[in-house]
Amino acid sequence: MGEHLTFIASVTALLVRAVPVTLLILAVSGVCATALATGLTAMSVARSPLPRLIQRTWTFLFRGTPLILQIFMIYYGFAMVPWIRHGILWTAFRDPVFCTCLAMTCCCSAYIAEIFRGALAAVPRGEIEAGRACGMTGFMLLRRVIAPSLVRIALPSYSNEIIMMTKSTSLASTITVLDITGVAQQVIAHSYRTLEVFCAAAALYLLINAGLSALLAALERRLDVDRAVPSISVPPTLEPLS
Amino acid sequence: MSRLPRAGVGFGLAAALSLAATWAGAAWAGEPQRAIVIGTEGAFPPWNITRPDGTLIGFEPDLLQILCQRANLRCQLVAQDWDGMIGALQAHKIDVIADALQITPARKAVLAFSLPYAITTGVFVTQKDSPLARMANRGLVLDLDASPTPERQTEALSALREELRGKTLGVAISSTYDGFLDKYLAGVITIKSYRTMGERDLDLLSGRIDLTLDDTTYLRPLLAAPDARDLVLVGPELIGGELGAGEGFGLRKDDTALAERLNAAIRSAVEDGTVRRLSLKWFKADATPALDARPGATGGGPQP
Amino acid sequence: MMDDLSLLGFGPDGWAPLLLKGCMLTLAVSATSMAIGTVLGVLLAWARLKGPRWLRRTALVYGVVLRGVPELLVILLLYFGLPSLILSLAETFGWDAPGLPPPFLIGSLSVGLVSAAYQAEIFRGGVGAIAKGQFEAARAMGFSDLQCFHRIVLPQVARIVLPALGNVWQFNLKDSALIAVTGLSELMRTSLVAAGSTRHPFLFFGVAMALYLVLTTLSSTAFHYGGRYSNRWDRG
Repeated sequence: MGEHLTFIASVTALLVRAVPVTLLILAVSGVCATALATGLTAMSVARSPLPRLIQRTWTFLFRGTPLILQIFMIYYGFAMVPWIRHGILWTAFRDPVFCTCLAMTCCCSAYIAEIFRGALAAVPRGEIEAGRACGMTGFMLLRRVIAPSLVRIALPSYSNEIIMMTKSTSLASTITVLDITGVAQQVIAHSYRTLEVFCAAAALYLLINAGLSALLAALERRLDVDRAVPSISVPPTLEPLS
Repeated sequence: MSRLPRAGVGFGLAAALSLAATWAGAAWAGEPQRAIVIGTEGAFPPWNITRPDGTLIGFEPDLLQILCQRANLRCQLVAQDWDGMIGALQAHKIDVIADALQITPARKAVLAFSLPYAITTGVFVTQKDSPLARMANRGLVLDLDASPTPERQTEALSALREELRGKTLGVAISSTYDGFLDKYLAGVITIKSYRTMGERDLDLLSGRIDLTLDDTTYLRPLLAAPDARDLVLVGPELIGGELGAGEGFGLRKDDTALAERLNAAIRSAVEDGTVRRLSLKWFKADATPALDARPGATGGGPQP
Repeated sequence: MMDDLSLLGFGPDGWAPLLLKGCMLTLAVSATSMAIGTVLGVLLAWARLKGPRWLRRTALVYGVVLRGVPELLVILLLYFGLPSLILSLAETFGWDAPGLPPPFLIGSLSVGLVSAAYQAEIFRGGVGAIAKGQFEAARAMGFSDLQCFHRIVLPQVARIVLPALGNVWQFNLKDSALIAVTGLSELMRTSLVAAGSTRHPFLFFGVAMALYLVLTTLSSTAFHYGGRYSNRWDRG
């Protein structure tokens, strides 16, 4: 029993050292995917058909195929494309962490864009009309009226998507990245002690996800209009309009 | 050496997929017929290869067909990835591992082995335009069991360490070469593990890894492929020691009855030239093991 | 180019038969895991809604864990861990070594277990969407629990949850690709083996992506028409 605990402790110590890799992939692809999703959302409501078509194709392609296949395509498939393999881009594509982040950015941006699109459609028309009535146009309407509502509406689904992304980072292990799952498999290859190692890894993912959920839930509470009555009861200043 | 990911061995399923081949033994052996499941990778040419139509061919399927007959075994050969194979054996999903498994001290801790049915050397392969393409001691055979160690060998190993310092070497996960790499090159090189040989080969071709170390029987035919013309064999050839005493079938330690039947069949196939004939067919070289000449080679039998 | 075409054909060097078998296997694994997920999901939803306290807690923890751990880990854990667990159980209780589950079953089971956690949430939400008054009315009319489930809950919940189940199906279909790591020759693994042994990864991963697009598009169309059918009385 004591030997058992010692083993679990030493494995956990090894796995914890891989946590930064997992978090790095999550942070980079989370930020990039959100930025890209914002662009895709804008394209989805564009007046001309081309951006709308691009957004729809993007969503179709990346939501219709498994992420693991996208990762393999970018990592192994693109490496056989001469202008990538022998061009300046190779510096980036050579790196499996970059390939994972790129695949996750493309894939998750498609999902997040759908969340934003749904939230955009759910922003009450009345608020936008009221904004217009106050003389707001374009960017100011977006920043003062649409965006705050949109963020509040989208946040619960967005939080879910971030949790999904945390889980997806484990796919990096399939292309030689030594993230939590990668290290776990490495340890198993040497020790053949499957159960303890995978359970320790699972516990780490649960901890990361619990932390993220708590953070996002706190953010949701802060943005909750109904509870944050005092701050919203102050009428917005209109100076920037003059 | 190595094989990659594991596949599962679905008994019925693999058969339905025609990934399985079944041979019934001729009733010439005195013992009653026994049905066994043999796991192979089906992706480690020329030892075992999956044809696009799902059938398994190669040195091992050919040899097993003969061995199963001689040992009066009804053998079902199923394809499965390497990295789960030892687990599958211990879980009784399969009874034998036939995947160019080298008999190494590390593996003997978890597995029993049959007698070796082939012996191969380990070689390095890199890209022609890599600085490693000019590695020293090309073609020199280093017998890691040699005792006392010849001076030339000590020099060659230390030259190897210097040349490989800081390089990235790709191997299939849990390969035979783990022990060698740990002992001679730990801290000198970065090691990347792949689930399948195919993935490792793709990264070798793209240059993501600087070189690989693998069996000559796998790498020589690979180098002959038209799309591998940028690759080149470099450095010394390795044999013995951590690299093992030839390729043997992996068995569960408590399955001594099966070990005895297979050993008798292997011995007859080595002695009557069947192994030589098949290895010339598949490897273009004679890989017949010397069953009694080297003490190390016979040490692979089942352990008490 | 001719080379590429013959690799994708039905000839001796063509991978078309294996790729098509891979598609079938992908569909079979996804359907099996969906079925496992539905059965277990209904049980979990029932446990969360009407079960005794300890069962409610267990179902809750199940949902949190299975939705918080990467699917890949669940698959690897079951693939490597289940056989040794079965064996050690057999040893402990002195059973004969039982037959071990084939990878198809392990793969379907692991994707199904994850799927169940999501489906349970959907069913729970579906039941929650039925107006409370309907249960009271049913009780007032003397319906038994079973009658209430059959006459009130099932017809409405089935309609409410169908679009959400369509989403879960799409996730199952894509998660089934992860079973490739167990070596089951479904579409993902077949394309990986083909890419590795022919060294044409771009071609084979491209073809696999196209095949997955066909599968996801066909099935989302099917769910769309299924939804229209189940809502046929709602219109006009």
